Amino acid sequence: MSAADALHARWSLDAGEHEHVVFLVEGMHCGGCARSIEKAVAALPGVLNVRVNNVTARASVEWAGRGATGLAQILDAVTRAGFKPVPLAGTAASADYQRERRAALKRVGLASLGMMQAMMYLSALYGVTDIDPAMTQLMRIAGMVIVTPVLFYSGAPFLAGAWRDLRNRRLGMDVPVALALLLAWLPSVWNTLRADGEVYFDSVGMFIFFLSAGRFVEMSVRHRSLDSSEALARSLPAQVWRLLADGGRERVTAIALRAGDRFLVPKGSVVAVDAELAQDMPPGTQAALDESLITGESVAVRRGAGERIRGGSVNLGAPLTLRAVTTVEESTLASMVRLLDRAQATRPALARAADKAASWFVGVILVLAVITAVAWWPIDPARAFAAVLAVLVVTCPCALSLATPAALAAATTRLARLGLLVTRADAIERLARADTVIFDKTGTLTGTSSGVTAVKLLGHSTFSQEQALAMAAALERGSAHPLAEAFRPHENASLRADALGEFDGSGVEGHIDGVRWRLGRRAFVEELSAANVVPPGSPGAGAQIHLGNGQGLVAEIEVGVPLRADAAAAIEALRGMGFEVIIASGDSDMAVAGAAGALGISRAYSRLTPDDKIRLVQDLRAAGRRVFVVGDGINDGPVLAAADVSCAMGQGSAIAQSASDLLLVHEGLNVLPRAVGAARRALRVMRQNLGWALAYNVAAVPLAALGFVSPWLAALGMSLSSLGVVLNARRLATPERTP
Amino acid sequence: MSISYVLVLLALGLFGAAVWAMFWAIDDGQYDDIEKHASMPLEENGDIPDFLAKGDGPR
Repeated sequence: MSAADALHARWSLDAGEHEHVVFLVEGMHCGGCARSIEKAVAALPGVLNVRVNNVTARASVEWAGRGATGLAQILDAVTRAGFKPVPLAGTAASADYQRERRAALKRVGLASLGMMQAMMYLSALYGVTDIDPAMTQLMRIAGMVIVTPVLFYSGAPFLAGAWRDLRNRRLGMDVPVALALLLAWLPSVWNTLRADGEVYFDSVGMFIFFLSAGRFVEMSVRHRSLDSSEALARSLPAQVWRLLADGGRERVTAIALRAGDRFLVPKGSVVAVDAELAQDMPPGTQAALDESLITGESVAVRRGAGERIRGGSVNLGAPLTLRAVTTVEESTLASMVRLLDRAQATRPALARAADKAASWFVGVILVLAVITAVAWWPIDPARAFAAVLAVLVVTCPCALSLATPAALAAATTRLARLGLLVTRADAIERLARADTVIFDKTGTLTGTSSGVTAVKLLGHSTFSQEQALAMAAALERGSAHPLAEAFRPHENASLRADALGEFDGSGVEGHIDGVRWRLGRRAFVEELSAANVVPPGSPGAGAQIHLGNGQGLVAEIEVGVPLRADAAAAIEALRGMGFEVIIASGDSDMAVAGAAGALGISRAYSRLTPDDKIRLVQDLRAAGRRVFVVGDGINDGPVLAAADVSCAMGQGSAIAQSASDLLLVHEGLNVLPRAVGAARRALRVMRQNLGWALAYNVAAVPLAALGFVSPWLAALGMSLSSLGVVLNARRLATPERTP
Repeated sequence: MSISYVLVLLALGLFGAAVWAMFWAIDDGQYDDIEKHASMPLEENGDIPDFLAKGDGPR
């Protein structure tokens, strides 16, 4: 098993009680095919949920373990429905794609050569009356010899699809196509054998060429749309250099790496697993990494000794020595691949409704074809045949079926490139419709670790803010208090404090350059200089810490969890897109008011319990608002689930456990407005696609029935209509134009 | 007249040969990735020089 295979391994195995698998299915062409598979698998005992997506060719099945149904029975049911299950693994999927592509290319190639040859022979018969009967018959036979293999080789997917549909007692889109092909081919063969009458071999060749060429392009676009999880999986190196205890090295497969193993990552190589930078890096050096594959962030990030690096990052600088923290299967990258696999296996409600309409549509078309035949027969029997063929071929229920899933697959890829993973198929549609966004504060609008948020110099102070912070850092150097962490980044190696002492609940004391300093509560610090009392400042959002010496207070330092650098811009952009922005936090009134004030948010709720937050979401939804909740994903689970659409800040292992619809892997909120923009574009494209598919069919069917569309033009129209839908959707995978 | 029969049969034979050649080329992988061969000279191989593996190179 390669590293890429390992990433696609089963993503939920709950001790055998509840099992879940995602696999690829070969041979699906429309939503009807997906429904056939769902029906076949759902009929098995113990199957709890089955979702099949015809565009991404993925099936997701949940079933109760330890029962009569196992993976073998599920795969067997898919095979009996007439489709081929393929393991969802990096190399197996690639081999499958390659096989599918080669077969499709052969079909198109044969159809194109056959179409041209058949037309060359048979066009000689058009309108020519003085041709020798023996030569006419030779041309007919040549046409038959060429087009018959085209029909049964290049047209095999249509014939097989129709047969499968009829066996499953449903009317799929292949039924009218196969009917039209056979209706044109059988009388032509009969007329050739009796050496009299019209032949339509050139039309059959042309139908098959246009249809198979359309399917080939569709397949190519589909393969490219699926590349979000495949690209992740394929990015992993197959082998890595593992360092041995004796200083040597060995080349091992990436999946052989275990937590604790030390390994070497050359410049330009991808880090195979989540890992930590070795502690023995030279002081002052930092690793430069490109995390764009995971987070979508194109700017290189820098990491120091001991810091964590996510699997999938590319080493841009000098070779690195890393210590593995996870295996390939447990890595952040593996969680992301599995979530994408899961999202791509489901079809949203809009797509299911379109599929249902498409299946009715085929039935209506067959009835229309009969009506066309009956109506034309008394008028002109010669044209009746062509009109019926045109009606059967021109209709394109596949455009209806493809309209939504093709757009969603492309939008999912686009969002993944932005650093936002879509974990549920409905999420994009619901995000596009959302009008209210609720942010949790801690860990969402703010970071997770505390830092200095403000410094105010007081009284007689002659120090700069940097000097005050460096002194505070020197005093806190030996302290284990959580607030001491906030001062670590401000340490100055040339400034040292001695005679350090810590006073529980009050602060710390020490000597710097022979002067006694205190850092902590105001009263504690003022004890050093009782005579020099400075009026208290206005309370801020974070903890107030004072720095002072015998001369009095020097600085008031506010320590808190700082807002993310891009929070204000992201909120402004969301507001510009018509969102009402709300903060709902469990934090103190002061902390929430501080954040709301800094971000210009007028509606902010503090001290909310998880139940309060859910009630807030429910109230907003009851008032007709469509609520988008953004939380940290760890303790916001219930409120994320209560929202119309939710997004969690994905951090490490939280990615795998998240119950949210979207996961923000990129460390920054500025992705959110871009994601909303992309989702709204996706919804627009879905509507355009559905509108186009509907308009094409409504216009084309009457024209074909009235005899204005020749059969070959009908075949071209059908291919172009589904191609148009897929190519329109493909636009979503490209970045939006900035105004 | 008879030459027409020969030409038609010859054209059918050529059609068969063209189809065979196309199938052979596809099965041979010549259409799998039409951009790969052009970019191959630009790719580096993944081997690491010995001095790096020994740990005495730049870190």
